[in-house]
Amino acid sequence: MARVAFQDVTKVYPGAVVAVQGLSLEAADGEFLILVGPSGCGKTTALRMVAGLERITDGTITIGNRVVNDVPPKDRDIAMVFQNYALYPHMTVAKNLAFGLRQRRTSREDVRRRVDEVSRMLGLEQLLQRRPGQLSGGQRQRVAMGRALVREPDVFLLDEPLSNLDAKLRVQMRSELKRLQGRLGVTTIYVTHDQVEAITLGERIAVLSDGVLQQVGKPQDVYDHPDNVFVASFIGSPPMNLLKGRAMSGRVAVGDLEFDHAQAPDGDVLVGIRPEGLRPVGQGHSGPGFEVHVEVVEPLGDEVLVHGSVEARDAGVRIDAEEAKLLADADTDRGTVTVRLPPEERPEAGSRLLVAPAPGAIRLFDATSGLAIRPA
Amino acid sequence: MTRFRRFLVSDHLAGWTFILPSVVLIGLFGLVPIVWGLILSFQKAGLISPEREWVGFENYARIMSDPKARQAAVNTIYYTALFVPVSILLALFVAHALDRKIALIRFYRLAVFIPVVTSTIATGIMFLWLFDKNFGLANWLLDKIGFGPFGFFEDPDQAMIALVIMTVWGWLGFDTIIYLAALQGVPQELIEAAAIDGASRWSSFWRITWPMLGPATLLLVVWSTISALQLFDEVFFVTKGGPLGRTSVVVFYVYRLAFEQGLGGLSLAGYAAAIAYVLFLVILVLTLAQFWLGRRVIHYQS
Amino acid sequence: MSSIIAPAKAAPAPLDPSRLGGETGMVERPRRRFLPFDPWHLFLAPLAVVMLLPLVWMVVTSLETLAQTRHFPPILWPGTLQFGNYSDAIRQSEFGTWFWNTTVVTVTIVVSNLVFCSLAAYAFARIRFLGRGVIYFVLLATLMVPLQVVLIPTFLIVKDLGLIDHLGALIVPNLVSVFGIFMLTQFFRTLPIELEEAARIDGASRLTILLRIVVPLSLPALATLAVIQFMWTWNDFLWPLVTILTNQNAFTLQLGLATFQGAHQTTWHLLAAANIMSMLPILALFLVAQRSFVRGIATQGLKG
Repeated sequence: MARVAFQDVTKVYPGAVVAVQGLSLEAADGEFLILVGPSGCGKTTALRMVAGLERITDGTITIGNRVVNDVPPKDRDIAMVFQNYALYPHMTVAKNLAFGLRQRRTSREDVRRRVDEVSRMLGLEQLLQRRPGQLSGGQRQRVAMGRALVREPDVFLLDEPLSNLDAKLRVQMRSELKRLQGRLGVTTIYVTHDQVEAITLGERIAVLSDGVLQQVGKPQDVYDHPDNVFVASFIGSPPMNLLKGRAMSGRVAVGDLEFDHAQAPDGDVLVGIRPEGLRPVGQGHSGPGFEVHVEVVEPLGDEVLVHGSVEARDAGVRIDAEEAKLLADADTDRGTVTVRLPPEERPEAGSRLLVAPAPGAIRLFDATSGLAIRPA
Repeated sequence: MTRFRRFLVSDHLAGWTFILPSVVLIGLFGLVPIVWGLILSFQKAGLISPEREWVGFENYARIMSDPKARQAAVNTIYYTALFVPVSILLALFVAHALDRKIALIRFYRLAVFIPVVTSTIATGIMFLWLFDKNFGLANWLLDKIGFGPFGFFEDPDQAMIALVIMTVWGWLGFDTIIYLAALQGVPQELIEAAAIDGASRWSSFWRITWPMLGPATLLLVVWSTISALQLFDEVFFVTKGGPLGRTSVVVFYVYRLAFEQGLGGLSLAGYAAAIAYVLFLVILVLTLAQFWLGRRVIHYQS
Repeated sequence: MSSIIAPAKAAPAPLDPSRLGGETGMVERPRRRFLPFDPWHLFLAPLAVVMLLPLVWMVVTSLETLAQTRHFPPILWPGTLQFGNYSDAIRQSEFGTWFWNTTVVTVTIVVSNLVFCSLAAYAFARIRFLGRGVIYFVLLATLMVPLQVVLIPTFLIVKDLGLIDHLGALIVPNLVSVFGIFMLTQFFRTLPIELEEAARIDGASRLTILLRIVVPLSLPALATLAVIQFMWTWNDFLWPLVTILTNQNAFTLQLGLATFQGAHQTTWHLLAAANIMSMLPILALFLVAQRSFVRGIATQGLKG
């Protein structure tokens, strides 16, 4: 009974700043939905509107059966974990955990029982009498989670809860979170700018940019079949290689590579191939391919990333970290590509590497709209 | 480089050169008086005359048996006990009222702050006029809502209260600024977390915001107590310690002894100094007690 | 040719302008609005009236005739405005002298404070010299001692210096304030030290660093100190009372105003005019430098 639905939700701030535009999205009961996108894309605003911390300019948000546009946060049966934890500094951990329950006049025994349960679940028993100021970052994060869990709400809202943790702790907490959510089965909406986090944690991910929903779907689907150039570039690390090609009567040419694609419109098209989609081939290879002038080689232990240039026009598509816009640079004659190789292969910088796209690895995008061009 | 040259260009010389004017001035007009004041308190001393007779603790003992000193102490405590809680609680409420974005808020804030810059004399004149028994606006307005004419500064029972009203008016802006800054320092996220946790506005204010105002409250309590105990200008100018000595506070009494009577030739400077030192001790003890109590009750954010 | 590729799912229908600039803040339970304005105005408006009433009433009184001031019930608006009261008040007193004296004393003290406090604060903040810690501690300790304790001895010192009844008595003891040193020391410590270190490496002397680097970066703090010191000195009553005994030519504005009140206890229209005139400079300064004042008051609080 605790699905969350956005119906054409818009949020405009004074000064005509549009944070969210026409968002329609649904998190099913018990689902772990992740809102992901660069800073300023509207994901946090969308989350805060579900919490009731921001008013909705247009559209409706439904929790369960109820439209909650005019329902204050305390009546919505939600719990939230803030990015900076927002723990009450003057209260002990125990009091922090109990606060929400006491405010709702829960009986003392119930409060004690639930606080005990949650502190055991999160390993907080030793910390109950300490104050937030005496805790480490990781401990504070767990208390923030505990405060949300103890309320047993219909919906969990998490606003980049792991971003203030150091890398190792972050990875650890990620799997703990996933396990916890699976066990409790509570509808969860999670916001992050880290697309790796999004793909590993979510049952479904929703990619936003500039307040507009770009694509929603299972992580693997979004990865494999991005709906537009933005999603293609944002999801996946290192990003998808994008080169500019020309199509004529269903035949696409990009650099030395040529292939057939029935739906390609005549004119410029964008050709996308993920780094793992480029396979090294021998000298005598007969099919389509690229000659990569190797510039940088990054050995990562379990794989090697090779960055180099190819004889093809760069699509000039970049996602600027600050603006979720795709900026087109001036065309250059040589495009850059990244190739993912198994750890044994270690080409030298300055050498030539011949690669060819794996079957089914090519994605085509319209050069003007950025939309994916798909076989009918 | 010789040692002397090294010294000349050293930090030590530079440091001392920079602080020398300040050290000399503060030494002469700050430190010396502190010590001299103590010495005076053990003497029978004249302000104009050079008389300096050592009398040990006689001045201090005299305080105990001096009815005027006792009256000054009582009046001072009475004033402080009224002024401190009233000004602080009022400031809390006003700061809360001013901590919002509504139309005219900048005007309201200005109106609250302006009285802080008026001098004690200017304020005294304004209130002498407002509270004038015969022609004052206050009595006219009060009469309109059915309250009889008040004597204010001229009534022995009302004078101190009138002084409290006047000084609260003058200081409210100061306290409000401190509280307003503290309120704006409470992270918005905490209020949001409390709202999500189910706290009503009342509950959120008293259980989340108010505790976080602890340091500001302690500061205001200490500051207000210290200034209240040192009240002088208003008493001297407006009520002259009257009527019937009901507003004679400690610093006023000290002034009277040392400067009014002292200038008339009486050698009371030592006695006055002793009273001043006793007040100092009281302030010191009270401040330390307030801080100690404060630290036990307040939990500072890390 | 470069082109900008917009996010694929671009903006749908254009937004209705009447919706733009939506409300901010948390969702609240829809409450019936009894009033066309925010209910807090019902508290704040009367509060503003109460806070401004003494001032406003004084202005009104200063523009009435003597007969009008003696009228009960009070006349709320005099009809013809007696601006002449102001010139009368000046003529019937030494107002000009008081104003001049106060200006001289205040400006001198503010300037000397800025100079001496900056020098000392810079030394305490950035120079390691013998005895720095001890001296700083002792200076701060003097802040703890209340005025009445040092009143009598300081009077005696000033008397021995022969300054009684002169403006010097008002100026000399206040050329430096410990509060100013404390405030500036705290502030200087927050400046990035790299700038000063770079200058030292370039061979600049301490004084040059102070004047060319530290001071320009500290204008807000210096403004705050200036404004606070101005207010204290302009409004000071007790010290002039104690040190200027018979020489009416050395009276400050506050002292003069107090004697004016003594002489004109029942001529309220003149007294009001004199009072307003005495407040104008500080009120004007406040309106111009509000932020500095507010910052100064908030920092004074930190002293505790």
